[in-house]
Amino acid sequence: MNISNKAKTFLVLIGVNVTIVILLTILSPTFITYGNISAVMSRMSELGMLAIAETIVFISGGFDLSIGAIMALSGAVCGMLNAIGLPFGLVLFISLLVGLGVGAFNAFLIVNLRLQPFIVTLATMSIIRSIVYAMLKGSVLTGLPPGFLDLGYFYIFKIPFLFIVLIVTGIIISVLLKNTIIGRKIFFVGGNEKTAYLSGIHVGRVKYLVYCLSGLISAMAGIMFVIRIRAVIPDAGLNAPLEVVTAVLIGGTTIYGGKGSVFGSLLGILAMYLLLNGFSLLSLNPFWEVIILGLILIVVVGQKSISESLRRLFPSRKTERQVQVKPETV
Amino acid sequence: MNTTLHSGYRKKGLKEYFQFREIPILFYIIFIVIIFSILIDGFFSIKNFENISRQITTIGIVSVGMTMVIITGGIDLSVGAILSFAINIGGLGISLGWPIPVVYLVMIGLGLLLGFINGFLVTRIAVPALIITLGTMNIYRGITMVITRGIYITGISSSYQIVGEGLLPFMFFLIILAIFVFITLRTRFGRNLFAIGERGESALYSGVPVNKYKVITYVLSGFLSAFAGIILVGKSGFIQPQAGMGYEMGAIAAVVIGGTSIFGGSGSILGTFLGSLFMGLILAGLTMLAVNPFWIGFITGFLILVAIAVDSLRHRRKDYSGG
Repeated sequence: MNISNKAKTFLVLIGVNVTIVILLTILSPTFITYGNISAVMSRMSELGMLAIAETIVFISGGFDLSIGAIMALSGAVCGMLNAIGLPFGLVLFISLLVGLGVGAFNAFLIVNLRLQPFIVTLATMSIIRSIVYAMLKGSVLTGLPPGFLDLGYFYIFKIPFLFIVLIVTGIIISVLLKNTIIGRKIFFVGGNEKTAYLSGIHVGRVKYLVYCLSGLISAMAGIMFVIRIRAVIPDAGLNAPLEVVTAVLIGGTTIYGGKGSVFGSLLGILAMYLLLNGFSLLSLNPFWEVIILGLILIVVVGQKSISESLRRLFPSRKTERQVQVKPETV
Repeated sequence: MNTTLHSGYRKKGLKEYFQFREIPILFYIIFIVIIFSILIDGFFSIKNFENISRQITTIGIVSVGMTMVIITGGIDLSVGAILSFAINIGGLGISLGWPIPVVYLVMIGLGLLLGFINGFLVTRIAVPALIITLGTMNIYRGITMVITRGIYITGISSSYQIVGEGLLPFMFFLIILAIFVFITLRTRFGRNLFAIGERGESALYSGVPVNKYKVITYVLSGFLSAFAGIILVGKSGFIQPQAGMGYEMGAIAAVVIGGTSIFGGSGSILGTFLGSLFMGLILAGLTMLAVNPFWIGFITGFLILVAIAVDSLRHRRKDYSGG
């Protein structure tokens, strides 16, 4: 039952994507050109990375609003250290480490001080964004090594390099979540933290891993963003919380934890970026983007709660609810 | 838990109004006033305190609404967006030459309406208020930007600035505080908000109309946001589409610093007042010390973390150790 539900979500998402593609092909002559499609692919890569990060956190039953700020921070660190003149490999390493560090800090607050994830990451988001602004003083940094920036123009079989990084990361994380013990533990902790704890799982360690991974992947997204726009800007990922949370929820991952998939989130991000691309091709006011994203977010979460309350109304479907307890994860 | 829920309506004197959790914050306030007075020339002056009182008013009023929402266990991220929506869309009436009372009524009406939409969605959709209001925040702000096309409304007649003159904003703030202290401590509705936040299900079984009361808190939050917007227009003399940016952070900070639990079920309006006073003093002091305004977000975030950490230590849930 559970599997068929998941397949249904995927089918709906793929259907939505195909519909958008067909509509845009009819409405705009430039949509289905190679240039446009590969631009959409590169553009969705850093947000896709953030969506992967958020998916892991959501599955563990947590919440991470700081992903966009971590993305901006790792970009800023990368630009600043490069300006100092450190060897570029070291610069990249430190930028990624900073993301990991912020993730560990989030985890420390959530695990050791037992604070609510969303308010913690709301606060760290504000703190990190503030640090980024203070570091860059509102200016844009350039002067990164051209060889590094040219990765943005690098294609393998005509597919943008950044997109390949996204897909590879997606596959690795997907395998990690589905096929490894630690991945199943993440699902278990998200499904029922107390049971997981009583079954001898180090809930704290799992959460540390989750937030560190989230920080690391967000930092990678930051570096990919720098490659794509060929500069460091302080406002990187400003809208990320809304966009990413929307995409992840569209993709069938729930905020209650224990359920979700990287594949679904990436399909959600794809649908979103196709839609955004459509807006710009049809030259609509860009602020329609946030309105539509907000609406989609509420409709998606609303529709789920409606169908869940329907399920509660019809006892004949009771079996479905029992399956959700996930005996297979034990 | 006795500090959070009072038994009955009997008079208990000062004790009822000042719960234990507000005492430390009072000390912090005295402490930083002393520190800043030593460090900064002219900090301890009537003029400066008047300035601070004007500065804390708008976010302070928004925080009062936020307190009500957080006490019931919810959160409202859309306060700044409602503020902006109300004054910008209501402000369209100014250029159409509507009389002032009508414009004010439209602004307030918009605040009530948007608050109601929040409340309706939060109670009908079984998803944390955070997600819902993250969505509505962006919808409201997006609509504001699309309609105004990012253009400021200037050339507002000086009669709109009456509400923003001198100590008048602070007076409004104090009146609102008094009203909401009364509501939270003296009315059935107010007392039940704590019950809802403490244990919503028990409240429901005890006959509390949980959903109705929750909707009312969001409506009140929307109303207060719009009211704060009117005062903001009075203070600044123009209307900008970006008004109220980051207010949700400032308001949450004031609320949690004031001792209201982010888990819901306990808190106080007076605490929120002290929290916003504390924030206002710190921001004013740092501005006078010429600290870069970029750091405001850092300080706000940091204070939120400290406040919720203190709250969490106080609450130490006993169920099991997560780490």
